Amino acid sequence: MTRKKRRLMVLLLAGLGLGTATALTLTAFQDNLVFFLSPSDVIAQRPPAERAFRLGGLVEAGSVERVTASDGRPSATFRVTDGPNTITVTYTGVLPDLFREGQGVVTLGRLQPDGSFRASEVLARHDETYMPPEVADALRRAGHWNPAQGAAPPAASWNTAPRQPDGRSGG
Amino acid sequence: MDGRLTAGTGATAARPNPGGRSLHRFANPGRFLRATGRLMPFLWAAALLVLGAGLVWGLVLSPADWQQGETVRIMYVHVPMAWLAMGGYTGLAALSVMSLVWRHPLADLTARELSPVGAAATALCLATGSLWGKPMWGTWWVWDARLTSVLVLFFLWLGHAALVRAFDDPERGARAGAILALVGIVNVPIVKFSVDWWNTLHQPASVARLDAPGMHVDILYPLLVCAIGFSLLFAAVVLARTRAAVMERRVRALQLARARREEGAPA
Amino acid sequence: MTLHWWHIAVSYLLTLVVFGSLAIGAAARHRAAKRLLAQLDPRGERP
Repeated sequence: MTRKKRRLMVLLLAGLGLGTATALTLTAFQDNLVFFLSPSDVIAQRPPAERAFRLGGLVEAGSVERVTASDGRPSATFRVTDGPNTITVTYTGVLPDLFREGQGVVTLGRLQPDGSFRASEVLARHDETYMPPEVADALRRAGHWNPAQGAAPPAASWNTAPRQPDGRSGG
Repeated sequence: MDGRLTAGTGATAARPNPGGRSLHRFANPGRFLRATGRLMPFLWAAALLVLGAGLVWGLVLSPADWQQGETVRIMYVHVPMAWLAMGGYTGLAALSVMSLVWRHPLADLTARELSPVGAAATALCLATGSLWGKPMWGTWWVWDARLTSVLVLFFLWLGHAALVRAFDDPERGARAGAILALVGIVNVPIVKFSVDWWNTLHQPASVARLDAPGMHVDILYPLLVCAIGFSLLFAAVVLARTRAAVMERRVRALQLARARREEGAPA
Repeated sequence: MTLHWWHIAVSYLLTLVVFGSLAIGAAARHRAAKRLLAQLDPRGERP
């Protein structure tokens, strides 16, 4: 029995050491593990203009302007916000299907001299709420939620709400 | 904890046990085969029934998502695969502790048969995630903390499957595999909490979180049924493989004994 | 069929094919081992 206990103790100690080492490593490389910077991070860190990085946040309500460039390619200007800070983004190309005001986005590009961000890639980042279209419509009609303004109300207030009897419908 | 382990299967718990309250009561392969043999038909039937119901519910009856549309249905296979990849790996680590501390031969055998199935589930999680990411995010793959840590999990599964088979002496292979599995367990909390600790393209958890699930019940319930169905199927596959491995080992021992007898007889 | 439905269909088919072949493979291996065992050891414990 003592041999088994000793083996268990060795395992526990090794696990403790491994866990501590991993935690320290992850903390040390914290900055490299971040996939994108928020507008506040960008304003605090001021990445140099020649460095490409990812900027992420919510598309600010009422900020999207879509234009068609002279060569026929679609182009868009919008503001990305994390609440306290906002950065203007310009992008030429096709935006993802889920792109809309109030949606999360992650954009890859460079800072411009005027402080705006020139993106070469825009990815949509949806949040963790899943709801049927009827429930989303009901929340909007009741004035409980405007998707352009940001996240849905607390899940407990809608995740058991009945769907309309007409049943399923496409998104 | 020793006694608790067998209580779960029910079949042997009631029988008086001369072996005492030891983990090694299941080390007796005959007893293991008898106990699980009665369970197998029910396990297969339950897996197919629950999974069939869950997939029809998810693919046909459940509503679309208000912004993702029909594509949200990929979730009903993607999320169970992700849970199995992580839960299965936690099981592999538990088997490895049993193997290293108690030198339990059945734990070695189960771990060996578990890792290819776990690797398959993780590969499916990555593939379905990619198929979901392209239409929703606009990309098949990004190197964010969640996706990268799941890829590491896939390589850990593959590494374990290869390592335990790389030794001529199966016991040494099992020991090396158990150590790899236990070192790799640090990756499981990283997978789970990567979306909370760092900015990732992948969204945070909808179901396994402290507050109410961020998912409407009409989407949540089919997801849970699919998760139960896939878990039952996963368990059935692993158990069937382990039973086969136990019998194959007995076959090899019998063949060896017969060859030895025949060698000795003509003299 | 729209592109989105293609992605859904491929996801489900992939999952069913992989898990289906795992299940069939495990069942076949199990049956073969059981038959061999019965041949080698007819009096033995038949699981």
